[in-house]
This record gives sequence, structure tokens and C-alpha cells, in this order.
Amino acid sequence: MKITDAAVFPYPSGDSSVRRFALEAKSLGFDSLVAVDTPAGTCEGIGIQTGILIQDLPMREVIARVKRIRDAGAVISVNARDNGFNRAVITLKGVHILRGIQAADKLAFDHVTAKMAADNGVAVDIDLSPLIFTRGPARQRVIHRYRDLLVFERRFEFPITLSSYARSILDLRATREITGLCSLIGMDTPDAEKAFGGVERVTAPAVPFVRVIP
Amino acid sequence: MSTRPPTLRENRRYILVRVEPAGTEIDQKELYYTISDAVTSLWGDGMAAVIMQAVVAAENGHVVIRCRRGTEKELAIALSTVTAYRDVRLVLRIVAASGTIESLRERIRSGPQTSPVSPEPEECIFDKKSMSVLQCNGQKLDVIEKGFKNANRLFISRDDLE
Repeated sequence: MKITDAAVFPYPSGDSSVRRFALEAKSLGFDSLVAVDTPAGTCEGIGIQTGILIQDLPMREVIARVKRIRDAGAVISVNARDNGFNRAVITLKGVHILRGIQAADKLAFDHVTAKMAADNGVAVDIDLSPLIFTRGPARQRVIHRYRDLLVFERRFEFPITLSSYARSILDLRATREITGLCSLIGMDTPDAEKAFGGVERVTAPAVPFVRVIP
Repeated sequence: MSTRPPTLRENRRYILVRVEPAGTEIDQKELYYTISDAVTSLWGDGMAAVIMQAVVAAENGHVVIRCRRGTEKELAIALSTVTAYRDVRLVLRIVAASGTIESLRERIRSGPQTSPVSPEPEECIFDKKSMSVLQCNGQKLDVIEKGFKNANRLFISRDDLE
């Protein structure tokens, strides 16, 4: 299982180059990174996967964009909105991750959406940056939302990914620190380890239900 | 209160952290308030009183933080939420935990001393812009764009240089 940070933003979106991100990620215990709008490759033994983040687009344009890029080998993520939008996105072929659930509407992710995510193999992302950077009621609200999300995850077993949303190497955290932060939202160590492998789980080629044995 | 005999004292643990970006000036007292704020914000006053965090040493870009034994995990989680100090962005990377300060000092002395692979450049070109080098450690370069307009630190590697 590859330990992956599901979203980092290297230069020019952030202040650190992708090679420097790779150097830091290696020392912090990661095996791969999903770097948004960055070409795929390998730096310092760390696998870099291209991440494409779709946000603030109407559904019709989201469908057109996903159709255009789904064969490019990138990790395609869509920012969550209202419940109807999320259900439509989850059934869209080529979408890997639904992001920003903590900032979406309170009813944006319910048991039906959770079941659909599990059936379609779409991961729901846990953005760690609000846990690190916010304080007080804002952080409490995010913790509450993530705890709600994990209730559905335990019931329906859809994939979870963990993202630092780092725009700088100073925003990256070690895997052990992330496991500690995940304990705030009720994830124990095996859960966190499973979530680190979430990207690999959703990007792995689908195994056919019926296998022809010669 | 008079000093307690050793058997009645509370057991302490010491956590060694490395301060990044390298070269950040650390004032022990101000860092204590920053850490205390992070601990209190995350765990509340009750747990902060149990953790009893304190900054006991700051040397060579490392800081030793004291806590009560058994609360190392809580302190470590709180330390990962420290993001700024004196309005300067920083991160505290946990290196080790120990029961004595001396063993952590030994760890600082015996830590990996990454020497530059080539002489440290004073300036370089990155993304077609002229940069001044602030820090250089092996492959890692911290640079700042020349000129008065941009004061943002960029984190790059030697392979990024043109």
C-alpha cells in the first residue's frame, strides 16, 4: 500500500517546487503525492501523480471536462456542493475523489450518497488543513462534519483519502502527526493507514466481476 | 512550595523538535506562548494543565519541550497545529522523545549533518527570475526573489535551478 497525500499544490500555486515537496514528503514518510496541475513522474523516489481539481463549474461543464480528461491518467477530483450535485458527480465515470465535504452544505452527504460512493468506488476526501490552521468553532464544526462522515464510512465502506492541501513544505505533516490528527475525528491507526492508501484504491484499474478462465 | 524529594516528583518527558524553515530566530518565551496557545485551543485548559508544556531549551535550530509523562501524544498532536510564530510561518517537526534533556542534546549533536553537495551559491536563477539564496542544506535551497517587491520565501531543490 502506498502512503499518499491526496492533494498538494506545488509552485506556482504554492511556494515550494514539486522536487522540494518530494524531498520533504520522503523524510515525512510518504511514498507518493497527488500534485495538482503538475506533470506526473518520480522525484527522489516519490511518485508524483497529476491531480485535477474541478470546482465552481455547472454540472454540464463538469461532465464535459471529466469526459475530456478521464483517460489522461490523472487523479480527478470534484469539489462537493449540494446533495443533488454530489450524487450526480459520484455516478460520473472517471471521477476519483469528492472533495471539500466539510465546506459543503450540511445535508450534502447523506446515506444515499455514501452508498453511491461505495458502489461507484469514489473516495471522499478528508482535508486536514482546517484541523491544522483553524481554531475554535470553525475547527469544532469541521471535526463534527468529519465524525459524521466516518459514521457513513463505517457503514458503507467507501474509500477515504487524506489531503494536506499543502501549498508549502511548511504545511506538510509527517504521517505519524496525521495519524494523531485523525484521532481527533475518531479514526484509529488502522483506519488512518487505510485512508493513506485511498488514492491507490480508487485509481487502481477495475477488476472485472466476471473472469474468464481458459 | 518547597522542592519535593525525587520519588514524589511527577515524571516528565522531553520532546525534541526541529524548527523549519532553518535559520528561524527562536525566543523561548514567545515560542512557549505559541505552543501554549495551540495546546489550549486544541485540548482546552483542563488538559493543558495536565500536559504542563514548557519550552526548556532552544539551540541549533532545535527546541526541547517538556510535558508530563503519558501526555506526549497529545502534545505532539498540538505541536502539529503550530503554524506561525511572531507572524512568521514555521513548522515544528518532531524528532524524538526522551526522559532526559541530556539524551536529546546528545541527539542534536549526533544528528545528521547534511553538508552541501557543492559550495553554497549566493544567488541563482529559478523560473527565469533571479533569486538570493537564504539557506542551503544539501539538495534543499530556500531562496527569495531579488528586489523589494517580493519578500516571499520559496523552497526549491538544486535540481530546479536553471
